[in-house]
Amino acid sequence: MTEKRMYIILIVFLAVSQIFLAKIKVVSTTSMIADMVKNIGGDKIESYRLMGPGIDPHLYKATTSDMMQIYTAEIIFFNGLHLEGKLSEILEKLDEIGKISKAVSDGLSEEKLISIEGFAGLKDPHIWFDVGIWREAAVNVRETLSEYDSENRAYYLDSWRKYDEKLIDLDTYIREKVEKIPGNLRVLVTAHDAFNYFGKAYGFEVLGLQGISTSSEIGTADIRNLSDIIAERKIKAIFVETSVPKRNIEALKEAVRHKGFEVEIGGELFSDSLGDLGTPEESYTGTFKHNIDTIFNGLMN
Amino acid sequence: MNPQLEINIIASIVSVACALPGVFLILKKMAMMSDAISHSILPGIVLAFFITNNLNSPLLIFGASLMGLFTVFLVESLNKSGRIKEDASIGVVFPLLFAIGIILITQFAGNVHLDTDAVLLGELAFAPFDRIFINGADFGPVAVYVMSLILLINLLFILLFFKELKITTFDAGLATALGFSPWIIHYSLMASVSITAVGAFNFVGVVLVVAYMIIPGLCANLITDRLALILILSAVYGVICSILGVQLAFFLAGSISGSITTVLGMAFLITYIFSPEKGILASYGRKKRLKVEFALDTLLIHLNNHMKSPERIKESGVPHLKNHLGWNEKFAKKILERGIKKDLFSIEGGIINLSKNGIGKAQERLSAIGINSLSEEERHD
Repeated sequence: MTEKRMYIILIVFLAVSQIFLAKIKVVSTTSMIADMVKNIGGDKIESYRLMGPGIDPHLYKATTSDMMQIYTAEIIFFNGLHLEGKLSEILEKLDEIGKISKAVSDGLSEEKLISIEGFAGLKDPHIWFDVGIWREAAVNVRETLSEYDSENRAYYLDSWRKYDEKLIDLDTYIREKVEKIPGNLRVLVTAHDAFNYFGKAYGFEVLGLQGISTSSEIGTADIRNLSDIIAERKIKAIFVETSVPKRNIEALKEAVRHKGFEVEIGGELFSDSLGDLGTPEESYTGTFKHNIDTIFNGLMN
Repeated sequence: MNPQLEINIIASIVSVACALPGVFLILKKMAMMSDAISHSILPGIVLAFFITNNLNSPLLIFGASLMGLFTVFLVESLNKSGRIKEDASIGVVFPLLFAIGIILITQFAGNVHLDTDAVLLGELAFAPFDRIFINGADFGPVAVYVMSLILLINLLFILLFFKELKITTFDAGLATALGFSPWIIHYSLMASVSITAVGAFNFVGVVLVVAYMIIPGLCANLITDRLALILILSAVYGVICSILGVQLAFFLAGSISGSITTVLGMAFLITYIFSPEKGILASYGRKKRLKVEFALDTLLIHLNNHMKSPERIKESGVPHLKNHLGWNEKFAKKILERGIKKDLFSIEGGIINLSKNGIGKAQERLSAIGINSLSEEERHD
């Protein structure tokens, strides 16, 4: 008899705690967004991300568990600006089936976004490279969470403030590092054109070997032109990216050698995803500290 | 909304829609057509993008469909010329069109996230999220409607022109002789392949479409040679493998198209081995049976030849088989047992004596290979 009563008490307790502890299920597409959502949502949410570390969003392949996560999610955050390709068409429609789906790039001021050359209506989607823009994106996440879960508005505001301070610190850190690099050396040569926002925000000239599309191919002329520039301006280092093969950057290094100049491969930069879990680069701020340190050390060596 | 059930339904519809035209592709030795289309549509997407400047425009899919039709038109025209084999004409057309697409992107849109993956290729796992709503009422996934329509068109086309399709597929020359141009049927069939492929790419991606177009038809063709039966069986294969594949994907929490394609591959392997007529087990068994029958015939003819010769005792001795016919003991024993069982001969004191039955059979075999055994015997005498 007492045993039965114990069970009943336990079940009631679990049910009640479930109501109070129920977390909001949030799915994010990229690891950058998932990190932001975790920072702002804290323990009020349960976070899931579709694209893990080292995954190029262009090459993402969905699993059934990704589908079930979206199906059971209440809120879905994605990058927008066509970063998610074909998937974005579906993400945009999720509100039809009673979910909140929000592009973190929504409502960003037009002048901050970089238009793609020749196609005024299209914007470069790699907005997380400009910490200033990323702070605006964080406001989108805060507002979406607060609107959906207005009881915890104060909580989200508080954790957003902490996250925003981290971003401001990161921005200052990057600017201080960049200050120490002489103006004529502020050139970033990488495998593909992901770093335009970084260049615009921190005064770097960005030269990519390959365009944004994975279907565009590198011509011999691209390598020749770029190697000319590197040799002429004596740029000390070029960089590989975690999600793009190294081979092209190595070819570029060889081409520069033939021009009679030695350029170093300055290290690996994270471009389309954050680092592995359990490393300092698992967070947005950790990843970007790694990037700016790598750039600094490469160019100032 | 039950996404798992809906994925099963979508996969099954797509599998039948693809498998039916796929059967004809296999029979026409153009199995890789769908793969070729997945590449050759790129310039269509790029050109449509230049017109709309919008990556989400439905016009891009329309451009892809037009380029798909253009691809099959070029391939069929090369086939028609009769100077190039089917596989080679596919191989000429699709890299050329794909390359044009690459050049267009590199020259004019290198900084745009523009490729077939980003614009056209869908994901079956997410197909249930793309739904039709009319006045707020949920009418289910778009994929079900679009692919059912394509399936219906394919089915009608095959039912209405079954005879024509059959003749043109197996014997284009006969079709011409019978007084109708096979080319209209060829072009229509290829147009249906193109529309099916592009439509299905949109919901399930390339790998699954290529697998659906080839493997079910291939399996069915391993079981039977009758066209109508091949078509029905390929649909059955498609549906069963789809449902098993989707369950596997949910069990593994993995990729759906990967799982279905794996199941299709396994189904092919099983059919390839165990098919009652054309499977490798069946042909192995047939080979073995033929070997025994041939050995038995050899023995009968040998015995028959020496029936009246002076060396009969020696030639008909059991140990002699090893020397004269090169048989090992085990094989010899097996053949002898079989011959006795069939009442072709008997063994007395180590000597094999042909029975009446055996003599008849030996002479029948000899005349079958064109030797008149009687005249031979008479010469011996």
